[in-house]
Formats: sequence, C-alpha cells, structure tokens
Amino acid sequence: MIETLIIGFVLLVIGLFAMLTQKNIIKIILGFSIADTGVHIIIISLGYLKGRTAPIIDSAVSIANSVREVIDPIPSALVLTAIVIGLATTALMLVFAAEIYKKKGSFSIDDYKELKW
Amino acid sequence: MVNPLYLIILSLLAGFSLPLIDKASRKLSFVTFLGVLGANLVVVGSWFYKFAYSGMDKLVVDTAGFLAPLSINFQVGYEELIVLLGVNLIAFFTAIYLGEDLEDKSISSMILYLMIMVGVNGLILTRDLFNSFVFMEITSISTIALITLGRRENSLVSGFKYMLASGIASIFFLLGVVFVYFFSGSLNLDFITYNFTDYRLIAIYMIAIALLIEMKSFPANGWALDVYESTNPGIAAVISVINSAGIAFMFYKIMPLMPNSFLYAFGIIGVITFIASNLMGLKQENVQRLLGYSSIGQMGLLLASIIFTQGIASELRFLIIGGFFFNHLLAKTGLFWLSGIVNKKEIRNWNALRNNKILLVIFGLLIFALSGLPPFTGFWAKWEFIKVLVNSQNYLVITLILLGSLFEIIYLFRWFTYTVKTETDNRIAVRGLLNNKLLVVKIITILSFVTGLVVMRSFYNFELTSNLPILGLLFMLSMTFFPVKLRGFISLIATGAYGYYLYKIVGLENPIQLLFGVIFIVGSGINIISTLNRKEESIGFYGLLLMMIFSFGNLLVASSYLEFFFSWELMTIASFLLILRGKSAQKASLMYMIFSMAGAYLLMLGFNFAPELISSSALITQMSIINLPLVAIILLSLGFMIKSGVLGVHIWLPEAHAEAEADVSSFISAILLKAGIYGFFLVAISVVSNAPQIDVYYWIGWLGVFTALVGAFLASFQEDAKRLLAYSSMSQVGYIIAAISMLSHLGWVSAFYLSLNHMMFKSALFIAVAGVYYRTHTRNMYEMGGLIKKMPLSFISVLISIIAVSGVPPLSGYGSKWLMYSSFLERGWYLQAAVLFFASAVSFLYLYRLIHTIFLGQAKYEHKDVKEAPMWFIIPQYIFIGAIMVLSTFPNLLIRPLSAMAGQYFDSNIVINGYNVSGSFGNWNGNLIMLITMGVFIVPLFFLMLFVGRVTKVKQFNIVYAAERPESPQTTHVAHNMYAHYRKALGGWGKPRILDFWNASAEWAHTMGDLFRRIYSGNGQTYLLHIILFFVVVFFFLGV
Repeated sequence: MIETLIIGFVLLVIGLFAMLTQKNIIKIILGFSIADTGVHIIIISLGYLKGRTAPIIDSAVSIANSVREVIDPIPSALVLTAIVIGLATTALMLVFAAEIYKKKGSFSIDDYKELKW
Repeated sequence: MVNPLYLIILSLLAGFSLPLIDKASRKLSFVTFLGVLGANLVVVGSWFYKFAYSGMDKLVVDTAGFLAPLSINFQVGYEELIVLLGVNLIAFFTAIYLGEDLEDKSISSMILYLMIMVGVNGLILTRDLFNSFVFMEITSISTIALITLGRRENSLVSGFKYMLASGIASIFFLLGVVFVYFFSGSLNLDFITYNFTDYRLIAIYMIAIALLIEMKSFPANGWALDVYESTNPGIAAVISVINSAGIAFMFYKIMPLMPNSFLYAFGIIGVITFIASNLMGLKQENVQRLLGYSSIGQMGLLLASIIFTQGIASELRFLIIGGFFFNHLLAKTGLFWLSGIVNKKEIRNWNALRNNKILLVIFGLLIFALSGLPPFTGFWAKWEFIKVLVNSQNYLVITLILLGSLFEIIYLFRWFTYTVKTETDNRIAVRGLLNNKLLVVKIITILSFVTGLVVMRSFYNFELTSNLPILGLLFMLSMTFFPVKLRGFISLIATGAYGYYLYKIVGLENPIQLLFGVIFIVGSGINIISTLNRKEESIGFYGLLLMMIFSFGNLLVASSYLEFFFSWELMTIASFLLILRGKSAQKASLMYMIFSMAGAYLLMLGFNFAPELISSSALITQMSIINLPLVAIILLSLGFMIKSGVLGVHIWLPEAHAEAEADVSSFISAILLKAGIYGFFLVAISVVSNAPQIDVYYWIGWLGVFTALVGAFLASFQEDAKRLLAYSSMSQVGYIIAAISMLSHLGWVSAFYLSLNHMMFKSALFIAVAGVYYRTHTRNMYEMGGLIKKMPLSFISVLISIIAVSGVPPLSGYGSKWLMYSSFLERGWYLQAAVLFFASAVSFLYLYRLIHTIFLGQAKYEHKDVKEAPMWFIIPQYIFIGAIMVLSTFPNLLIRPLSAMAGQYFDSNIVINGYNVSGSFGNWNGNLIMLITMGVFIVPLFFLMLFVGRVTKVKQFNIVYAAERPESPQTTHVAHNMYAHYRKALGGWGKPRILDFWNASAEWAHTMGDLFRRIYSGNGQTYLLHIILFFVVVFFFLGV
C-alpha cells in the first residue's frame, strides 16, 4: 500500500528529525521509537498486497489457492521480531537515561560531553 | 562433525542457567561460564582439525527441519572458520583476563558476555539476512549493557551514545534487508540471484552503510572513541576485536551483492578512515582513546584490504586479510589488556612500566606487531597488500595507506620510547607471575609472535639464514645469566662463526658481497671488542647486537626482495633498540625510527614496482638481469639514501649517533650507514647493466656532492665530539653517493675504496672518542683539552685516522681522493669535483678541531687524574689503524680486487703495474708516497730532537685573567665555538634549516590532527548528525 508506505517514511523522518534536534534525552528516545515504528509500518506495507487476505490457511483459503489469495507472510513475521528488538532497545535506552539522570540530575544531552576528541 | 548450532545453544543454555547455578556458588558459575567459552573454542578447533586433515571445505546446516531458503541455514567454510577461531580465542582469554571483574559483579555481566558471543558467532555463521539483523541487535544490546561493567566514569554516557548510533544503524540495516526481500524475493544470501540495478541499489546501500557505521568508518565513529575511552579495557578489547570482526565478516558476506562502484567507494572510505584516525591519533594523550583511534584505523585498513584484494588468488587474499585481521586481533587485544594492567590513563604515566622488565618487553613486542614489523603477521600482509595495489595501479590508496601507517608509527613509537626512557619511581603492582591478567597478556604476545612465524614458514620458503637474526637474539637472551664480559666473547665468537657460515657454507657469488661482508661482519667483529669494556649488566645488549650484525649479513645473501626487506626491517628494529639504550636517546631513537620506517615504506613500494625475480641466486647477481623501471629506481634510491643520511633526510643521523651509547655509535656510523650504501649499489647495478638512467644519477650525484659539503660545514660547528663525527660520516657518505652516481669504473672503485676506508677510520675515531668520554664523562670538546699526555695511544689513533679521513698523503684517504677526483675529471663532472674539493678543505676544519680541542692545549684541572682509555678501546682502534697503514702502503692489495669488482659492470680504465696505479690522469704509487712522506716526516723529527733545546711548558695558571675569573672558563677558550667567524661568514647558511622544515612538517601534521579531531565534540547528537550526513553524502557521491 503506497499510503501506508508514505506514512511509514514520514514517521521515520519525523523520528530522525526529533533525534537530531531535541536536547532532552527522553525526547530523543521517543524520536527513536517513532522512527522505529515508521520502519515497522514500512515493512508491513511492503508485504501487503491489495485485495488479499491474511495468510492463514483455513476454510476461507484453500491450500491450492493460497499463493494467489493471501498476502506475503514473511514481512509480517519479520516485523514481529523487529518490534520485539525495538522494544528491548527502547527499554535499555530508558534504563540508561534513568541512570544518567541519577548522576547529574539533568536530561539535557548537552550536559554530557566529558568524553571528546 | 559438531553442529554449528552448538556455538549458539551452549551459550544460550548457560546464559539461562547461570542465575540458577549462581545460587549454589559464584565460583561455580564462573567456572561454567569459562567452560562454555572453552567449549566453543573446542568446537571451532574440532572443525579446524577436520578441515585440515579430512579435506572437507564446507559445512552447511539447515534448521527447524526445513531446507534453506525456507529455513535459516548456517555455514562454516574456511573464511568463517578463521574468523570464528580468532573471535572465540580472544573471547576465552578476555574472560580469563576479566576474571574477578566479572566474578565480583552481578551475574548478569557473565550472561551478557555470553550473549555477545551468541550474537557474534551467529553473525558469522548465518546465511540469512534478517537473521543477521537479529544477531547484530543481540550483539549490540548486550555489548552496550556490558560497557557499564564496573561502573567506570562516563561509561553510561558513552553507552548511550553507542546506543543512538547502533539504533540508527539498525534502522538502516532493517530497511535494507526488507527492501532486499521486496526486490529479490529472498533473504538467504545463497539464493539471492537478483541483480540489483538503478534505484533498487538503495536496498544494498542501506545494508552496507549500516555495516560501515558499525565498523566505525570516518567520520561516523565518534561514539566508538568515547566507548573505547570509558569502558573497562577488557570490554574495549571485545568491542575492538570481537564485535568488529563479526561486523566486518558480515560485510564480507554481502559483498557479492554490491556493484563495483560501491565497493571501490567503500574501499576508499576504509582508507580514509585509516589515515584520518591515525592522523588524529597523533595528538592523543589518553591511552585507551589512542588505542581506540588505532582500532578504528585498523578496521579501515581491514575494510580496504577486503575490497581491494578481490579477484586475486584466494591463498594470497587469505594471507592479506587474515594477516591484518590476526595482527589487529592479537596486538590490539594485548595492548588493551596491558592498559588495564598498567592502569594509567595518560600516556606519559606509562613509564611505570620500565620498572617491570617483562611487561616492558611485552609492550614493545605488541607495539612492533601493531606497526607491521617482522616477523608479525601484519608485516607479511602489508607487503603483499602493497604488491596487489601496485599491480592494480591503485596509487592513491597506496599513498594514503603508507602515510597513515607512518602516522601510526609516530604515535606508537613516541609512546614506546617515552615509556622506556623517562625516569619514574612508579611501579606496576602485579601480584605474582600467575596473575590471570599477566598470564593472558603473555600468552597473547607469544601467540602473536608465533602466528607471524607460522605465516612465514607456510607462505614463504625462506632459508634458515633468514631466521638467524631472531635466533641470535633469543640465543643471547638465554645467556643472560652469564657475566657480561663472557657474553661479549660469546658474541664475538658467534659473529666469527656467522661470518664463516656466510663465506663457506652459504657462499658468496660476487666479490662485492665479500667487500661488504668484510665491512659488515669483520668490521662488526672488531667493533665488538670495544664493547667488552662494559661493566654494567647490559641485558639484551648483545642479543640486539647479534641480531643487527646477522641482519647486515643477511642483506648480502638475500635472494628475493622480500627476504632482503625482511632482513632490512630486522636490522631497523635491532638498531633502533640499540640506539634507544642511550641515556637520553628518546628523541633520537624516535627520529631514527620514523625516518627508517619512511625509508622502509619507500623500499617496500620500490621493490613491488620492480619486475619479478626468477632465480634463487643472491639479489646482487639477479639485479644485473633485472631492468628496474624509473619509478622503482627513484623510490629505492630514496629509501636507501634515508638510511645513509643523505642531505635533507639526514636529521636523524647526528641525534642517533650522539645519543646512542658510546660503543654503539661506531656501529651505526661505520657499519649501519653502509647498509644503505649496499642497497644503493644494488639499484645502481641494475641500472648500469640495463639502460642507464643518466638523468636520475646526475641529480643524485649533485645530492651527494651537497651532502658532502653541508655535512663538512655542520661538522665544523659542533661542540659535541660525537655530533662532529656524525656530521663527518654524513659528509663521507655524500662522497660515496656522488662517486657511485658517476656510474663509471673509476667512480665505483673509489666508492668501494672509500666505503671500506670509512668503516675503518670512523670506527677508530668513534672508539677513540668513546674512550675519551669514558674517562672524562663529557662529549663537549671544549671541556677537554691537553689529553695528549694522558691518553697518548688514543691521540695517535685519532691522528692517524684524521690523516686518513682528510686525504693528505700518505694514508689511504689520499688514495681514495686521488681516485675520486680522477674519476670526476674523467666523467666530465668538473663543477662537482670543485665543490667536493672545497668540501675536503672544509673537512680540515673539523678534523683539526677534533684533534686540537681534545688532545692539544692545556689539560683541564678536573682531568688531572685521567688515564689512558681502557685496553678494550685501544685494541680495536689499533687493529683498524694497522689495517689502514697496511692498505696505505700496499694499496694494490685492495685496488686490484676493487677494480675487478667494478670491472664486472664497466670496462676498466686503470692499469695496475707493480705498486703503481695509473689512470687517465696520472699515476699513484702508494708505496712510494708512503716512503717519501715517512722520509719527510722522520728527517725533521730527528733534526728537532737533536738540535732544539728544552721547551718551556705553559702551565694551567700561567694564563691570567685580569682581576677576575670567568664563570665557566672553558667558554672563553678558543676551543669553544671555534669557527665562529666562519659561521658568521656563511651568513644564514650555517643554520640547520632542514631541521626547521621537518619540525614544521611535524607541527603541521599535529595541528591538522588536532583540528580534525575537534569534530568529535562529545555531544551524542553531533555524532548522530555525522552518521546521517555520512549516509547522505556517500549516497549522493555514489549517485545511486
């Protein structure tokens, strides 16, 4: 679906833009989450074929006709894994953010520049 | 055959059960942890064994009961095997290294460590693209969590930056994977047959760029530097080696999908990463960050080597990529571990190491390995890689790689020399020899050394002779328990035996080899006598000395370019370490190393431009059939001239001579410089045997002439006796280079003659000065004076030597000057002859200064108890003096064979008749001249002794200053700043401008490095911006 594909890309760009412009670490993480969601939507859109049904073989879809009637199941399977990984990454980011906050009491990414050059 | 799945399953299983085992005991869980890593290693080892002995070359396993592409399949081929072996080896040892760091913390550290291994092993094994995404994520998530191990300062922040970077990279990767599936219909690398073109390339592009980001390509790598700096050194080693290896291998796997334009651009990115990170490393003070810069650089080099070696024979490619990989793997891990043991953040605090000799040696070996010196794997890989690049005419890549390597040499060796040479009371606290950290560092250093030797044994069929320098070093090190004098005698005997071995057993094919054999081996042997005076322990001294002498000899008999270059580099290592032994030789040895390595790179390049050799006879024989292209002639000549200290690249020479230990300087000046001359002859032989490149040699001739002139002037203005002799050596080398460049019979005869002569008289002079220094403890000549009465034997030897240098009758120098001017006139180089003549006149200034200020005039009060130099200094001097006298009286003994040597390449135009040598411009009868001169000398001597009465001696206090005594009376003496008026007359030309040039270059490079590294602002968002820009810029550059 081209619409969802575009939505996915828009989300991705919004997310990246947020990551680059927001100073607050939590907002940066949110940005990442949005971008990640955008990617997931792009993946599903690529697998979706117009007018077909879910790739579940039951009374509605016979084995013989399945190739012509269902959408490509692989992207859907992939996106599940991607979502889980995205969840893990986001969770880890948030833990780090919380721990970093404990040190200096600031969420601004500009306050953590001791390591450089 | 063990199923590859076990690599994943074992770690996963252990990961889940560790919390349970931990309930029983922490010790038990640590043992389980190590056991799993060990088991992984055993699994990989079993494949290795199978592959090696049962002819198997590939193992593919499908999962979940389906065949690929329906299921995920794992594959182990040769490439996978090598990477897996390296990775699991390092993982196992790093776990031992981390030891209590892991044990004391929560059990999750061990679990995370195992998860990293699941991720990396999976990444290497899997053939499925989406599956590799999963493994990549597993790796980075567990690595990031582990970065905070021990909660070191700032590790949380750097972990967060890492997470941002890897988050973006994984977004790109995932998108790329999905688009690959969308376009090609498959996720399995073995089944993607689709040909990606035009806009569809974006899929491949996104995957590649994600991997490049994870491989820390410049400039999208700021996050990695911060991570290296802040995390536990053991974890830094894991990231630098294990993670990077996984990612690099992933890149290798998807390479077949990429078009050539992509690959070329990515190769260039690798090279740029290499040079940029080494340039920025120049300014680094923090050890772990420095190692980070070096790691990133090495990854760039690895990337470039993977890309630019496509399409060459697989065995060779294996050597290059594997060589770089294992070199980085072992040396970098070792250095990271070492930084954990030393536990000093700043480079300048590492001198604590010098009080722990074993660690210092390990440090040195790892630095050598990282610099790509033999026998470590990086050396072989670099040689072959440059060869491949020369063949494919990638000159830009070559230039960038060699320049980057040079930057790397500079900071690594600055670090090393600084560590060795700065005094400190700090010590490294190491508890016992079996300490786990110490143990693994030792193991990895030995492994690094052994893999280098294994590569040498299995890829090149070098003669045993090639290994002699290393064997000599080890042999003498094993003798350390003997008293120093005995070790000296053993070295002397070993040198003699080696000389016999070369002469009788290996056999010499060309008389020129014999001449240089005499200079290298016999000269060294006699010089060793002067080292017998050593009283201090001198651990390692004789080992290095033998290593250097054997490498000299090996240069003569080397039968391939690589063998020659190998010996050349061993010689460089040995001489560098010998110079480094000098008390304040930090700067001098560093300069020597930098110039030597620059020279070595030119040689490496030059040899690879040369046509292939075909026979196995000595290089000097083969050179006469090899027709060197012009570029090879220039590169090789330049490389050899750096070693000989020709004008412009001579600045290392006075420093190294002056700061080396007294008995080492004579080796450097008299013998080491001749190694460059020998190489220069090799090139010239090829030139005269084929089409002579007269133009090049015309200019080189001028360079030699000016070297002679400038060297003589600079020598005249020195206060330091050894610096004076050093500049004098430079001047003499100038004569030799000029004489060789004439490419004529007479020119070569005089060059041979002068080379041998210079070895003898400069050895005698340096040893004499060493004796004076030994007694007076100063090298400043104006602080000496009047030593003729105290050290008459040294005086006589200096007198005879300087007569020999200056070229007045009757000694050998006269003969060489006669030959030389004849040859210049014959060749028609009148102007050059005139300048050289002037240089000879200038050389009287410094020679006079040398003998006058040291031996004549008033004896200083503080030297009233000075005695003659010890016997061990006198003996070698008189051997050389005796040889000079004999050869001066009977010059034909030498001229005849030298004429025959040059006669191999030119028609002879000198006639030797009895004692008379006649050329086209006159005759020289050395014997007659000796008799006449002796007569002229002896008759007035008798007259004076008979008829002149007693001389009134002027005593020290006969000189009276008006009313007051100056602060430092020596400086009022004529001996101080002796030729001030000449210096004034020269105007600005007396100043060492070339030094200014090199200083400015160094300054400039450092400033550039400093400027570049400012892009790493420390702000996580800036790093993100770099990554996005990297993505966009490369995208537009490729025009996908």
